[in-house]
This record gives sequence, structure tokens and C-alpha cells, in this order.
Amino acid sequence: MPSSMIVRALGLATLALFFLAAFTPLPAFLYERITIPVHIERADAIVVLAGGGVLASGQLSDSSLRRTVRGIALYRDGLAPLLVLSGGAGRRSEGAARAVLAVKCGVPDTAILASSAGHTTHEEVAALQPLLKARGVRRLLLVTDGTHMRRARGLVRDAGFEVLAAPVSEVEMPAQPEPRLRLLRATLREGLALVYYHIAGYL
Amino acid sequence: MTPYMAVALTSLVAYFIAVKRLGWRPSDLGGALGRMAESLGAGVIFAVVNVLAAGGLVLGLRMLTDRFFSLYSLDDLGWLAVSMLQGWAWALWRDSKTAQLR
Repeated sequence: MPSSMIVRALGLATLALFFLAAFTPLPAFLYERITIPVHIERADAIVVLAGGGVLASGQLSDSSLRRTVRGIALYRDGLAPLLVLSGGAGRRSEGAARAVLAVKCGVPDTAILASSAGHTTHEEVAALQPLLKARGVRRLLLVTDGTHMRRARGLVRDAGFEVLAAPVSEVEMPAQPEPRLRLLRATLREGLALVYYHIAGYL
Repeated sequence: MTPYMAVALTSLVAYFIAVKRLGWRPSDLGGALGRMAESLGAGVIFAVVNVLAAGGLVLGLRMLTDRFFSLYSLDDLGWLAVSMLQGWAWALWRDSKTAQLR
């Protein structure tokens, strides 16, 4: 029956994709296509986008912590006078929790701008735009995950800013099957998100 | 890579047990693998339909209610496993129907 042959072919194609993803550098190749190269220079602000929120324990999620630490390190390297920590309000504001960590790491209170508006990247950037404009920011270092950077950079650029990419690597280029599959999953998820943002007219 | 070498080894052992001890015909293995691919293909179809339905539901709930529903809730391996089970059940059901017709 032709329909059963198509389903069988789909199954075989899925198996082939699984083996290619697990045992070849295909995920790394696709990741390279979707990410933006690092470009770090002096800017007016360092903007750290939300990433996973705050856990019930009050600690930042892994992704949020990685991005925050990257932002703090860039600030401590003297790359911008302003550290913008974004993150929506869930159980507790991610932006506020990040600000507490930044202060503990030696960033002065006056150099931190915490924002807790927006649930999605699109809403987050829309909320940040007036705050950054009010501070005279024109050029910014954008901190987010490597896979997320292309979509985030597009939105921030469309909001009228010059963007320098300071991505956080989710993974090293993996050599083991499981991390490779995880990288493929993150890349495909972001690919779908990019398609959705284009269809929705956000990009 | 060690677990995958173990998979290769246990597959080989299972093949010999099946052929030598249980008397299964090696020529039937191709058909069995084909049916496995069919189950997998059906699972993939269920997975795509499930994710589209769930995405539509999330976006619909966003529009119809004041609460925020995240599309990241779709990023869960659990539904993928359940979709594969759906596909497997579908393929087995189809096989039993085909057997009845013979």
C-alpha cells in the first residue's frame, strides 16, 4: 500500500537523521548556521536577556545564571558602563534576582538596570526599548544563548540599536551522541521559533 | 561510545539466540525492521500533529485568556515518547487488521 510505504520511508528517514545527528558533526554544522559569531567591543550597555527564570528555591535557572555571569564578566572587563538585566516576573522577578547576584559580584547598584517586563523575547525587547533609549543607549552588547542570538539580535536591531553579539555557549562542540542530540534539539527548536517569528511579523 | 558498542554486541547475541535457539528465519528480519520503521514513521506523524495541536492550543489560550502560556512548554521530550507509543499502537492495530483480512 503506497501510504504504508510513505510512513515506512518516513521512519527510515528519521532513523537516518538520528544516526547522522548522534554519530556525525551534523548538529554542530547546523548550529554554526544558526548562531552569530562573537563580536565584543566597547558599547553603551550590556543587555542580558531572560533565560529560564528563577527556580522555586530562589536560585536562577542554569541558563539564566550562565547569561548573568557572562554579563557581569563583560561589565567587569569595562566594556560598558551599564548592565541591563532582564527577566520576567514569575514566582520572583528574574531581573531582580540577577541584580542581587550582580551586586554581590561587585557591580555597583547605580550601574544596574533591572527589567521584569515581557514573557517572550519579542515582549522583552519591546519593554527594554524605551528604557534603553531614555538612557541614551545606541550600541549594546547583547548576551543570550548562542542558538537564541540570531532571533534576539534581529529584534533588538529592529528596535533601533546597533547590536554586538556576546553569546553564551550552551555546549562545547560535542563529540558524544547525547550532547550532539541535545544540540540538534536546541537548534531545531530555535529554527522553529525563527519561522514562527517571521510568520508572526516580529522579524 | 561504550554503550553503543554494548548495543551492537547485544544485538548480535540476540540475533544468534533467535536463529540458533528459537529457530527464527533470518529472512524475516528485513520485514520486522520494515514494520519497526513503519511504527517509527507513524510516531513521527503523531509527533508533528501533536506539536502543531499543542502549539495551536497555547496560542489560542493566550488569545482567549489573560494568562500567559509559553510555547517553551512544547519543548518536552515526554510528548515525543508518548507520540512514539501512539505510532507503535497504530502500527500494531493496522497489522492486526491486515492479519484478519488474510
